[in-house]
Amino acid sequence: MTRSPFDLEVPQSLIARAQTGELAAFEQLYRCFERPVYTLALRMLGDAEAARDVLHDAMLKAFQRIAQYRGDAPFWAWLRQIALNETLMRLRSRRDDAAEVALDALRDEAPAPWVIADAAGLERALATLPATTRSVLWLYHVEGYSHPEIAERMGKSVSFSKSQLARGTARLRALLDPTVESMPCLQANPQPG
Amino acid sequence: MSASQPATRLTLPEALRALPLVRPEREVWNELAARLQAEARSAPPAARIARRRRLRYVVPAALAAGVALVAFEAHRAPAPPTAPATVAAPAASPSTGGAMAAHDANNAANATNATNQPNDTAARIAALEQRSDALERWLQETGAAAPLSGQDLAAAAEIENLIGVVDVALAAPQAQQTEALWRRRVDLLEDLTALRYSSYRLAATSAAGAANDHFID
Repeated sequence: MTRSPFDLEVPQSLIARAQTGELAAFEQLYRCFERPVYTLALRMLGDAEAARDVLHDAMLKAFQRIAQYRGDAPFWAWLRQIALNETLMRLRSRRDDAAEVALDALRDEAPAPWVIADAAGLERALATLPATTRSVLWLYHVEGYSHPEIAERMGKSVSFSKSQLARGTARLRALLDPTVESMPCLQANPQPG
Repeated sequence: MSASQPATRLTLPEALRALPLVRPEREVWNELAARLQAEARSAPPAARIARRRRLRYVVPAALAAGVALVAFEAHRAPAPPTAPATVAAPAASPSTGGAMAAHDANNAANATNATNQPNDTAARIAALEQRSDALERWLQETGAAAPLSGQDLAAAAEIENLIGVVDVALAAPQAQQTEALWRRRVDLLEDLTALRYSSYRLAATSAAGAANDHFID
């Protein structure tokens, strides 16, 4: 089972201190979850400034509502839900570009183990995906959400989630697979003379 | 996995999970701390707002267990035609006795609005607060029992977020346009109530047949 980057152990005493409004406790919680929240938003939105806003607003909302946290779910899951809601709210306000994935040039959509050249290459490839497609990939593979869970949170169908995952996987494969990059149709035409 | 590492054989999920967690280039905590401190300084109004927004969007176990009975009552008592009135219809259920008060509060607020428009801002705000309380009480005690589809759930989450934004503005030390904010809050709660109520009625209708077998001759 995929372990979310949010899945961090938080002492109950720290949460209790935060629930009394202690600023130092808030800061400790913020430092714990700053990276998971920001990374989730950045990967989904692909926009550093928007991700920063999500981090600010999600943490603020969590701290404003922390008195309502009853401990019936892990704190990290509670906070992740708030961060995801904030991110999805911004994603929905954008024009949905998920349908614009160009699949015609892809030769093979079947997922398989690949050679991923390096992190920077993968990040560049991710950045070229539509935000919705990238979000589905991230929520499924990194955060461990199921297709029904993704569909519910994004207000879409399960088949939408599955198709976005397949399209995103195929698109990344095309971008990262050197055999696709060397296709003749992608080579520059030689200049005459 | 770092940008400088040579090629590594990984599956896509492994490669995605291996990407480093990142933090913003500009510090966020300072802004956040300043905001939290400002809110702490305005504790009395913030506490007042907090009392008024005791939204609990969880399904109370007792209500979930009593859905069939609620459905029976909802089936017997047709919903009034307008949104503010319809939200009180499920309050007829004996399992939601507290919601009866919401019904009364709704009616009181509506009557105030319809027949005796308050002339001063304070009275208008008080009426809005009363209506806001009544809607919240219904949502907390009854509306949360309604199952939502994925799309409705997303819409409800969005409305709740917008209510949160209004609450933040209302909790500001010197909130401007207080009346407009309260009106906005009531509008959003009515949207949420309509969403919950339509799901509630749907669930009630589905369960009514079974309930009728037990309660109707």
